[in-house]
Amino acid sequence: MEHALHTHEHPQSFWSKYIFSTDHKTIGLQYIIMGLIMASVGGFLAYVFRMNLAFPGEYIPFFGNLNPQEYNTLVTNHGMIMVLWVAMPILLSGLGNLLIPIMIGADDMAFPTLNMLSFWVFFISSIVILSSFFVPSGGFAGGWTLYPPLSAGAYHNTRPEFWSAFFSGASLMIIAVALEIIAMLMGGINFLVTAINKRAPGLSAFKLPIIVWFLCIASLDFMFSVAPLVAGAIMLLFDNILGTGFYDPARGGDPILFQHLFWFFGHPEVYVILMPALGVVAEIITVFSRKTLFAYKFIVNATVLAAILSVVVWAHHQFVAGIDPRMATFFSIGTIIISIPFAGIFLSYMATLWGGSIRFTTPMLWALGFIGLFLIGGLTGLFLGSNTFDIYAHDTYFIIAHFHYTLFPIVFFGFFASFYYWFPKFLGKNLNETLGKLHFALTFIFFNGTFFLLFFNGLAGQHRRIYNYSLFSNVMQEPYRTFEKIATISAVCLILSQFIFLINLIITLRKKEKAVDNPWNAATLEWQTSSPPPHGNFPEPISVNYGPYEYSNPQFTTDFVPQNQKI
Amino acid sequence: MSQNQTMYVSERSVPQGRLALWVLIAGELAIFGGLIAVYLMSRLRYPEEWSAQAAHTSTFFGALNTIVLLFSSYAIVRAHTAAVHKQLNKITLWMSVTIGCGFLFLINKSIEYTNEIHHGFTMSSPKLQDAGNAVGSVFWSYYYTMTGLHGLHVIIGMISIFIVMMGARKGKNLHRVELVGLYWHMVDLIWIFLFPLLYIAK
Amino acid sequence: MMKYLISIFPKGISTYSEEMDNLFWFITILVSIAFVISLYILLRPLVLNHYKKVSKAAYFTGEDKKHFRWIVIAMALLAASDFAILLVEHPTWAKIEQEIPNPDFHVAVIGRQWNWIFQYPGEDGKLYTADDVVVDEQNSELHVPVNKNVVVDLKAKDVVHSFFIPELRLKQDNVPGRTIKRWFNATVEGKYDLACAEICGVLHTNMRNFLVVESQEKNDLYLKNLYEKKVTNKQ
Repeated sequence: MEHALHTHEHPQSFWSKYIFSTDHKTIGLQYIIMGLIMASVGGFLAYVFRMNLAFPGEYIPFFGNLNPQEYNTLVTNHGMIMVLWVAMPILLSGLGNLLIPIMIGADDMAFPTLNMLSFWVFFISSIVILSSFFVPSGGFAGGWTLYPPLSAGAYHNTRPEFWSAFFSGASLMIIAVALEIIAMLMGGINFLVTAINKRAPGLSAFKLPIIVWFLCIASLDFMFSVAPLVAGAIMLLFDNILGTGFYDPARGGDPILFQHLFWFFGHPEVYVILMPALGVVAEIITVFSRKTLFAYKFIVNATVLAAILSVVVWAHHQFVAGIDPRMATFFSIGTIIISIPFAGIFLSYMATLWGGSIRFTTPMLWALGFIGLFLIGGLTGLFLGSNTFDIYAHDTYFIIAHFHYTLFPIVFFGFFASFYYWFPKFLGKNLNETLGKLHFALTFIFFNGTFFLLFFNGLAGQHRRIYNYSLFSNVMQEPYRTFEKIATISAVCLILSQFIFLINLIITLRKKEKAVDNPWNAATLEWQTSSPPPHGNFPEPISVNYGPYEYSNPQFTTDFVPQNQKI
Repeated sequence: MSQNQTMYVSERSVPQGRLALWVLIAGELAIFGGLIAVYLMSRLRYPEEWSAQAAHTSTFFGALNTIVLLFSSYAIVRAHTAAVHKQLNKITLWMSVTIGCGFLFLINKSIEYTNEIHHGFTMSSPKLQDAGNAVGSVFWSYYYTMTGLHGLHVIIGMISIFIVMMGARKGKNLHRVELVGLYWHMVDLIWIFLFPLLYIAK
Repeated sequence: MMKYLISIFPKGISTYSEEMDNLFWFITILVSIAFVISLYILLRPLVLNHYKKVSKAAYFTGEDKKHFRWIVIAMALLAASDFAILLVEHPTWAKIEQEIPNPDFHVAVIGRQWNWIFQYPGEDGKLYTADDVVVDEQNSELHVPVNKNVVVDLKAKDVVHSFFIPELRLKQDNVPGRTIKRWFNATVEGKYDLACAEICGVLHTNMRNFLVVESQEKNDLYLKNLYEKKVTNKQ
């Protein structure tokens, strides 16, 4: 078989082992590390503009003074980086690479070289987006949604010279996005082929750990929702560098067209990153409540349904964008309906906990925190799914609070849950539980401190992306000024709390003591090999006889049954 | 390690190269599908202005290119049949024919482009813009974007066919003949959609 | 604190602002009930079912009807409340977006980087005629009569802007190349912020004008003054 070619034993240099490795575990870690580096960039941007919001115009430590142009650049790139360079690589590519092959009992991805290529394309895209800050015209400053005509030449480059347009913030951001999408598509092809073709004997579809399902459905959803945006981004780039008028009404185009293309991708994107996080939470709550997953098949079906529905709800981001009011009603119905499968999934998770035997380990805390916070995020979505209330709430801090209550738990609670859970497996050391719990507690508190009060600012009419809100003295009375300050101070504390994580990581990596192979007594396949797993994952052929969540099954005398246990 | 390699042999019937290619084709079709959908929506908004512009496209060259591509698809099918029977000479012959057709397609395309640019229909068509027909100029933006993106796929297809042919000539990786064939059929299929949309509908 | 909780919204001054606020409270009640129930379901096992050294957890897969019906019931309840929200909100939506009344006062509001332009009908009382009056200044005011149906034609010159007056509970994007009609009927006299809610470039922050709601007489006087000053028609 062709894919077995790379498994030839030969001495590996540092470069081929850690940098240009084709091992899925190394590539997964590379994605996660790169995602974390980008997260610290995105976090720093958030720190700067949050400081400015609370103390407008004042000196910001580690940055200096902020002007309106820089402020817009920061909020724009914060959004773009956090969604496409943090959430996507960490949750989809990172976890997908780390987990899919080993969880299905395979030695590696179906196409290891393509996999490596995918990471390096992603790496280049990160360099491009970071370099966009340093071009003469500055980074793109028109909102991460890239709405034309602002992104297509009206302000940034009126009738541009070719090369200067090519190196404008807008063009670079579009190019970076395109590269990032290509990287993720290459990864997606790999995930799907691997999960379909390389499963161990006996691993039928409903014996897969559910996270594999989630990652595959997410890859498919991503592939079909992002494809029209690829075309849309090419057109936007042409508007920028070739002077076409696809989106510029002065040159015969239509700006709303891009909004449709963007949100046709933009909304499914939320589910694309939600699904891996849901998978992580499912793995963790089953292990730490010693319960089998409640209604496994229903969850898979509901997810497929939600993925299908997700491509017909996009226009709820455009209720006030000038679309036909009757169309808005249709999208409002779709949006509100999509809450039903997700409610079913979350209730199944809660039902999994019932009658369990619950251990509050660090990963479990993060997973439970995810459920709790996402509950708030999801329920506040009902306000916005209703097209009428969206007239008022659109583009206010209510929206900001809402989507941070969904995205922050997805990205960071989902990631940290997975990190604390799988760290002993993939890096072979045990993280410090006390520091982990402290990290969780502080993140949980300060996250709420940052975003909860912003709901009220939004309801008071405060709209987003405003450099200095004190101009709007009607809205900016007490207590909303105080709320702004509380949010900013919490945000700073939230960022500082992450250093606990860093300290924990450094302490752990310096430790000599090794982790055991299966510290959590989990049944899925990755725990049935050594920690860390060797290149090729399993020393012996593996075959699967049991489902992934056989915990506390009365048919067996043991507490759990590994998936590959002989009958 | 070597004795372990057999343990990962797939039980499933679809070879993974073909599976991956189907996924890739699905993605590519979705990209072009998005573009075509957007084109149709815009065209429905300005039916008259756009059909006036579409009247300037050359149906003759479009039809010629359709025939060329259809024949090239036939050629790659013959190459595949030859690969199944391991007739190396025939593989090389039919794949060269396919690449030749690709060149013919591109030559036709460049004649067409030259002709249109000569008449002032370019990517942004300043001539039409200045004449106050900004709406009409967008037709040409779409025209060049769609045919250009398709032309890029033709070039990618030709390069991959060439690479595969170099191997297949020596009897290496014969299964790849089928894979590039699949890709080439997709390129052909997309053209079958573009031809009526851009050349026939006037 | 209670004072703040009740006055969660800015003062509503349009004929539909109260409906909007009521819709908010209606959804809030439904969502709060759902939240409390979910929180109970989530927290109950966390409080009761701690890990003990040898205890075995219960085993049920949730695939059987006996257990799964609870999920179905919960989803049905959610679907019912979703449906209720749609029923309650739709009349307000239709009122704001679809049933635009005949204008007592017709004005065009045009977004531009970075201020709002107001185009009033001239002496003939008709918009888009040669004698229209255009006000194109930073921080200028849009003067409309109180208790009258005001229809605004929303347009944009360069990029997407968004016409937002929190007190009216009205927001609508201004899209270049299109004219979008919206309406309001302000019932309280006063001066309110008119913001741009869609990022529109560097000085998006400074894009702030005012809505002045005043009596018919004052409004007539204001327009007469404008007309006499012969504000040039820039359109």
